[in-house]
Amino acid sequence: MTGGIGAAIWQGATVLIGGALLGLVYKGIDRKLAARMQARIGPPLRQPFFDVVKLLAKENVVPDHAIAWLFNGAPVVSLAAVSSLLFYLPLGGFAPLLGGHGDLVLVIYLLAVPAIAMMVGGFAAASPYASVGAQREMVMLMSYEFPLVIALVSIAWRLSTILPEASVFSLSVLAANPLWDWVGPLGAVGLVLLALALLVVTPAELSKIPFDIPEAETEIAGGLLAEYSGRNLALFYLADAVKTVAMAALLVALFFPYGLADRLWLSGPLAGLVDVAFFLIKVLVVVFFSVIVVRVGFARLKIDQAARLFWIPVTGISLVGMVLLILDRVA
Amino acid sequence: MNGINSGFGAWNPLVWTALFLGIVAVALAIRALGRKDYKKKTGQTKVYLSGNEEPEPEDLHVRGDALYWGMVEALSGYYRRARALHTGILSDYFAWIIVTLGIVFVLLAVGR
Repeated sequence: MTGGIGAAIWQGATVLIGGALLGLVYKGIDRKLAARMQARIGPPLRQPFFDVVKLLAKENVVPDHAIAWLFNGAPVVSLAAVSSLLFYLPLGGFAPLLGGHGDLVLVIYLLAVPAIAMMVGGFAAASPYASVGAQREMVMLMSYEFPLVIALVSIAWRLSTILPEASVFSLSVLAANPLWDWVGPLGAVGLVLLALALLVVTPAELSKIPFDIPEAETEIAGGLLAEYSGRNLALFYLADAVKTVAMAALLVALFFPYGLADRLWLSGPLAGLVDVAFFLIKVLVVVFFSVIVVRVGFARLKIDQAARLFWIPVTGISLVGMVLLILDRVA
Repeated sequence: MNGINSGFGAWNPLVWTALFLGIVAVALAIRALGRKDYKKKTGQTKVYLSGNEEPEPEDLHVRGDALYWGMVEALSGYYRRARALHTGILSDYFAWIIVTLGIVFVLLAVGR
């Protein structure tokens, strides 16, 4: 029993620390690749680690009229919520640590918590810029949640028609039974559309260009983060890094869960290592196409343009994907 | 600690709450590593507003219509039509509910 608890704590610590470290590494890769695409040298890969250390060494200013406990609490809640998400996602070919205690519905809710925490922190700062940023964050959340939920529920529903006895909202079940193996041509096109919708939702979830409207440094000076500094900003920075890993891991689990070890007839520890390495590459591919390329290639949208984009074309693509999955079942 | 298992998925609030509190403790420990001090009641603690004068806190309340501005602007065509349907007459609202329920029941009947 003691060994079981010890192993659980060890695994939990690995997920927590690994998630944060990986998030910072991917942030470094993101900045380096984005710089190279813009013909700049860019910062070293370890720059995000320096950023966290430096932020922790800076003064932690709380504005005069801010509601201090909300202002200070928001970054803690943001980091804790997004880190807890990692325990419900399959990572590196391993089943989720707490997969039997939470499913896709919980993941949808936990994805929203960091955005809500940032919004609360923004309003609590008593700053006009932060207030405008918080309003924009709320509109963004209301815009991209709809296509996100359509895509996730459509996939679970289609799997329920194939495996009626399975817990289809379980991430373990979804990752172990990729829909590509079951659906016909109509369903495959539907899945491509749903994947496309989620790839567009990803930079919005992560507040990256062209959807960094709530922060918009050149317009509202960082928006809801304008008044944050020091250790509070360090926690938001870490939460952003972890969320990048979590969002990419979710897409990998739903659309690219395949391992490499069994295709290479590997077994034992080597198989585990190969699958972990393959998972890290898949996460990098998702981050590359949904974050890095997009943020280099596009300019920031206005808030009404972003809301329109998610409510009309992206929701439309998700709905067409859903209808194609329904037709695939009928066919 | 038995949670809910619907057959479609699982949810155990106690496990998540314990996990969340554990990670909050870790986040607070990371936070405790950082610098705590700052110069209170100085220019440093005034909000940044590009050199403009800081408004009084009571002037910072956000009006409801401003809160959703981006959404209303993005879907202005929908909102214009939806506003026109709000006649304020109770029987109109009942008619909408009955018509909507009828459509839902037809869809449910077709889907069975």
